[in-house]
Amino acid sequence: MKNSDQKNIILLENVDKFFGEFQALKNISLSVNKGERIVVCGPSGSGKSTLIRCINRLEEHSNGKIVVNGHELTSDVKDIDAVRREVGMVFQSFNLFPHLTVIKNLMLAPKLVRNSSKSEAYDMAMKYLERVKIPEQADKYPSQLSGGQQQRVAIARALCMNPLVMLFDEPTSALDPEMISEVLDVMTDLAQEGMTMIVVTHEMGFARSVADNMVFMDNGEIVEMNNPTEFFENPTSDRTKLFLKQILTH
Amino acid sequence: MEAITGWWDDYFWGSLVVVKLFFVALFLTVLFGLIGAAAKLSKNRVANTIANAYTVIFRGTPEILVLLLFYFGSAITLTAIAQAFDPEIKFVDFPPFWAGSFAIALIIGSYATETFRGAFLGVDAGQIEAARALGLSNLKTFVYVRIPAMWRLALPPFGNHMLSLIKDTALIAIIGLEETLFVAEQAIGTTGKPFTMYILVGAIYLGFSTIITLTVMVLEKYANRHLEIAE
Amino acid sequence: MSFDVALIIDSIPKMLMGIGLTLQLLFLSLLLGTALAIILLLMRISGRWYLSVPTMVYIYIFRGTPILVQIFIIYYGLPQLDFVRDSIFWPILREPFGCAVVALSLNTGAYVSEIFRGGVLGVDRGLTEAGAALGLSVRHRFVYITAPIAIRLSLPAYSNDVISLQKSTALASTITLLDMTGIARTIVAETYAPYEIFISLMIIYLILTWVIQRSFGWIEKRMSRHIRSEA
Repeated sequence: MKNSDQKNIILLENVDKFFGEFQALKNISLSVNKGERIVVCGPSGSGKSTLIRCINRLEEHSNGKIVVNGHELTSDVKDIDAVRREVGMVFQSFNLFPHLTVIKNLMLAPKLVRNSSKSEAYDMAMKYLERVKIPEQADKYPSQLSGGQQQRVAIARALCMNPLVMLFDEPTSALDPEMISEVLDVMTDLAQEGMTMIVVTHEMGFARSVADNMVFMDNGEIVEMNNPTEFFENPTSDRTKLFLKQILTH
Repeated sequence: MEAITGWWDDYFWGSLVVVKLFFVALFLTVLFGLIGAAAKLSKNRVANTIANAYTVIFRGTPEILVLLLFYFGSAITLTAIAQAFDPEIKFVDFPPFWAGSFAIALIIGSYATETFRGAFLGVDAGQIEAARALGLSNLKTFVYVRIPAMWRLALPPFGNHMLSLIKDTALIAIIGLEETLFVAEQAIGTTGKPFTMYILVGAIYLGFSTIITLTVMVLEKYANRHLEIAE
Repeated sequence: MSFDVALIIDSIPKMLMGIGLTLQLLFLSLLLGTALAIILLLMRISGRWYLSVPTMVYIYIFRGTPILVQIFIIYYGLPQLDFVRDSIFWPILREPFGCAVVALSLNTGAYVSEIFRGGVLGVDRGLTEAGAALGLSVRHRFVYITAPIAIRLSLPAYSNDVISLQKSTALASTITLLDMTGIARTIVAETYAPYEIFISLMIIYLILTWVIQRSFGWIEKRMSRHIRSEA
């Protein structure tokens, strides 16, 4: 059933996720509109990664409803494929294909999933490599690139599928400090161009300047959600206050 | 199936020969493996070269060839020695059981050399230092610290060596050892049922492999019991 | 005891006449065995119990019994069964060469499928997740992501298996085939010179092993170009 409301891109309603006995997500409800930038933060084990991984079915939600761009996410492979085509993901450990050059990494999915021709895929790949400012690395292998460069390639790879939404799972957590800003810059540019984004991160500076909405998760629940100003200056929950205190004073 | 009746005890005795062979060869394998590993790990150039030659030769040569060489070679040598004492002797046979177990032990020993060597290298140097600092002698360190640590690392691959060992024992039938294949041949002569008889041999060996695999699993659990997370 | 060099010089060419057969057995069994291994692998990881369980049983049986017994069952045993003699495969199974190839292929298939499975399991999960996130189907992920990486990971173990296979071809001599070992055995039976003949044969096999190892070393180097960091 297609949702004619074009504004709402992602909808989660009463979503639970169990890993055996352990409940990783408790009654999550979240709505993301086109062009919105959501930053999800929280302590380890709070379920932030699980949340976004459920959105593109890397994890299967146990209860509740997830709808992406009008497609409800079910066990049907067609639904899953339809969702994944619209959702791009960037991983903490980059996950670039080591046996393919950078340019081939970018061209693989468009050719196989969208049936792009080799030249179409190539042109698009080069376009996005320029967007992330490393076109000269096109013929290198991932192992020859620095961490920051690899993550930018990963972003370009996701963008080559022209997704409606980009999900970022702690994109800078595995990077050496001096490379974090080059990746955050790319993400900021992306946000300014209007990309809908959900970012799980600890980078609060980035969150403050880019986010439309801050979501704080703890113990599988959404504890607090607010615009960045209110979130940082007037947190309502004690748990949020504690978390902010820990993360902002180090 | 009725063809097998009457042959059960022959197969049983044949299987017993296999078991004896296995344990003799196993003992020799561990011996050769430890010696080989020691030689490879030592600083002595000559020992290194000999050990390297040993592993290269016995890992690269068909097992059956090694068996044939040992069996016929030792027979010839023994005959020559015997003839020196008594020119009347025509031919001295070398018992296939011993030629076979020795040959197989040399072969599997060459794989065991690599396994033990790797396992010794894998022992945490910190443990050895601690033992020395505590005043343990070289020998005590070796027996009480090195060997237990190394055994744990060597066990999984050594389990595979034991499986190879039991399967290679079948080859000794080629040089005349009276174990299960020999029994099968005799049974076939009488019953005319080669398929049944050889399948039975296969089943016997499958049984042995299973026992070995299960034993190794139990030993692995025992060796790693200190690593299990306490509740 | 003298070393009859003249005999060696005379015998080597004779034994090398068998190398054609040895290599035929090797390549044919390797090809068929690897093809079988891929099929077995796909069945094993299919997730469907009616495919994976029979595969596991097959692998268990073929890895748990001696290859000599497998050869005997196929060569001596199958003719006992009427339906085999009546089948279309009979012309192949009647000949010792056909039986040897079938036995070696079935055996190698079991081992290699486990080697490939190890390679597949060694592929970082994150990579297939990235493929899934990009929208690639399960088939696409396997062909374009998992398989290339798994093959590279499997190469060392695979090369070891090729060497094992090469050694196993010598067992063909036990079912009347005149490969190098078969020829050697006939020469020894005539000349009673096991040391000269068998040791020369050993050297030939060692050279063959060396060639296989070098070839795989070269292949591995080529396939690993992309993981040598040059940043």
